[in-house]
Amino acid sequence: MDATFSLLTMTGASAMLLLALAVLWRHHVPAYITAFRMQSVALAFVGAVVAWFGDVSELFLVAALILALKGWIVPRILARMEARRPGDRGLHPLVNTEMSLLLSGGLAVAAYEISRPVAEVISLPTRGGLPLALALILVSLFIVVSRRQVIAQIVGFLMLENGIALLALLGAYGVPLVVELGVFLDVLLGVLVMQALVPGMGEPSAG
Amino acid sequence: MDSILLIALLAPPMFAAAVAILARRAPVGAVWFDAAAMPVSAGAAAAIALRLAAGGAPLVIGTAWRLDALSALLALLVSVVATLAAWLGPGLERRGGVPGTEIRHFRIYANLFASTMLMAVSTSNLGVMWVAIEATTVTSALLIPLRRTKPALDASWKYLLICSVGIALAFAGTVLAFVDYATTGGDLELALNWTTLRTAAPSLHPEVAQLAFVFLLVGFGTKAGLAPTHTWLPDAHSEAPAQLSAVMSGVLLAVALYAVARWKAIIDLAIGPAFTDTMLLVVGMATVVVGSVSLLSQTYYKRMLAYSSIEHMGLACVGLALGPLGVFAALLHLTGHALAKSTAFLLSGRVYARYRSGKIGAVSGLLDTAPATGVLFAATLFALAGLPPFSLFLSEILIVQAAWRTAHGVVTALVLVLILLAFASLVTHLQRMLFGKAGRDEAGRDVLRGERASVPLGILALPVVLLAWIGVMLPAPLRMLLTYAAEVVRP
Repeated sequence: MDATFSLLTMTGASAMLLLALAVLWRHHVPAYITAFRMQSVALAFVGAVVAWFGDVSELFLVAALILALKGWIVPRILARMEARRPGDRGLHPLVNTEMSLLLSGGLAVAAYEISRPVAEVISLPTRGGLPLALALILVSLFIVVSRRQVIAQIVGFLMLENGIALLALLGAYGVPLVVELGVFLDVLLGVLVMQALVPGMGEPSAG
Repeated sequence: MDSILLIALLAPPMFAAAVAILARRAPVGAVWFDAAAMPVSAGAAAAIALRLAAGGAPLVIGTAWRLDALSALLALLVSVVATLAAWLGPGLERRGGVPGTEIRHFRIYANLFASTMLMAVSTSNLGVMWVAIEATTVTSALLIPLRRTKPALDASWKYLLICSVGIALAFAGTVLAFVDYATTGGDLELALNWTTLRTAAPSLHPEVAQLAFVFLLVGFGTKAGLAPTHTWLPDAHSEAPAQLSAVMSGVLLAVALYAVARWKAIIDLAIGPAFTDTMLLVVGMATVVVGSVSLLSQTYYKRMLAYSSIEHMGLACVGLALGPLGVFAALLHLTGHALAKSTAFLLSGRVYARYRSGKIGAVSGLLDTAPATGVLFAATLFALAGLPPFSLFLSEILIVQAAWRTAHGVVTALVLVLILLAFASLVTHLQRMLFGKAGRDEAGRDVLRGERASVPLGILALPVVLLAWIGVMLPAPLRMLLTYAAEVVRP
């Protein structure tokens, strides 16, 4: 039972990290949006697995919300922004593909090292995925700072949020529901405001 | 009684925002409602603060709300500064000429912004505090490009992205602390409640607690304008409308630092203060260096005020690291800065209205063209430069004294040098603006001369008087409130 639980969450977490790494060698914005959509589905899957095996029924609600908000509504908003965006379609990241992958590999190793004390104190069957969650957080952070295109930056930020949600799911079977709902609200509002600010702008950098 | 006070504190800005949303046809009505509602909030905050200053118990309502002395201090600062912004915001002047939609947008988002800040300081749940602080980013980012110019849109985007990412890292820290708490086997529903976390803190795991604090400091530090992730601040604070800059610089930075202080108190119970003190000291000193040195070369007065905010946040951060006296000084510093910086930004709006230019070089003879504005602007800049009799002089002296007492010889010397540097830069820029001959504005017209006594000027004089009063007398209720608030951070 615990072995299945552990295996399923590890599979979901690995898929999430791979999807973040996958965007690093893609050069088109739609690929970023698709990767984020699939990653959110994987997160909802991990949520549902934890809800079932960990016997936390409210996580089913959270998983459904993840699926609806991050798997459907937010990617749609992003796709609309991409469709309206004028001009150059290229991404022109600050760091090239080879270097990006190399650096992300380094970040993943660092994540294993950093998360060791956390994994040691936790006795849940899901703890094996914690380094993956931390690696996802660091790689997403790298995506935000190394991409110059606004939608790619937003996707990086949303993947960072996914990484934190994964950390909470694997480390403690989710944060209290009121906080979870607040976070959903903030993500939705944040993306809506970002969408409102983007038209009429060039390609700003993250400074 | 407690719940009435809490409602009186939180409801006015929410109602004012709702009225502004509904009053599509009559924005003027919404403006007057706003101007009348915000003092209610400030009054409630003052009542709560007075009660706590007299040694009263924290205001606790259910498990959701809790205001201790530290919360009360921040709630008071936020509501007072928000009241100033509401009184001096667009829509009240007779010859305004501001479009109705702009007035309405300002009243909606400024009030939502104030509500989220008040919520952040009055919730007892550190997870909800995070949600509220993240919401402050969203509500204020919408207001920066009120005029929808390209620089304002760019600044707003930079602010939104950097602060969203930063604050997401603070959430990672919050989750790490929560995960750590979950291993101690306590009640998970109330896990992020201040009292629960404090009780459980001694059994947290040192290495996890350290990791959590690093994430929390980077995250909330980004929002507080601490180096090295302060880069959004000069753009956002200089491009925003003056009334919003006043609130963002005056109290939003303080609210973010409040979050750092809250978490410091928890982490200190787990691992002792040495680790958090070192982190805050390093980050704080780096921030003061960035702020003071950048002040030298500024050519726009709003950017100058923004860099001065970075310098002062750095000083407050250093103060938090210097033991009980340092924490007291840091909180007094935040109080003085909230009053002085918000007034300075509000006055900068008046300067801009007259000279139509944001350049320091374009403003000359301010004392001649607008004597009252000039005198008040000079007074707030003297306060920000740390001159007596204003309260920032007192808090800077106390920070230096705390550094000396905690035997940080190098820190003491460095802080003194940087304070002097900031003082010299501010005063140099100021004298270029105050004296000289008033020329023509950007459009080539002669700058308007003379100003009559008016209600806004009277309002703007209040914080200046208050700053001097605090600096000279340090009134007993405020001293007690600060003492109790410092005990929350550093018992």
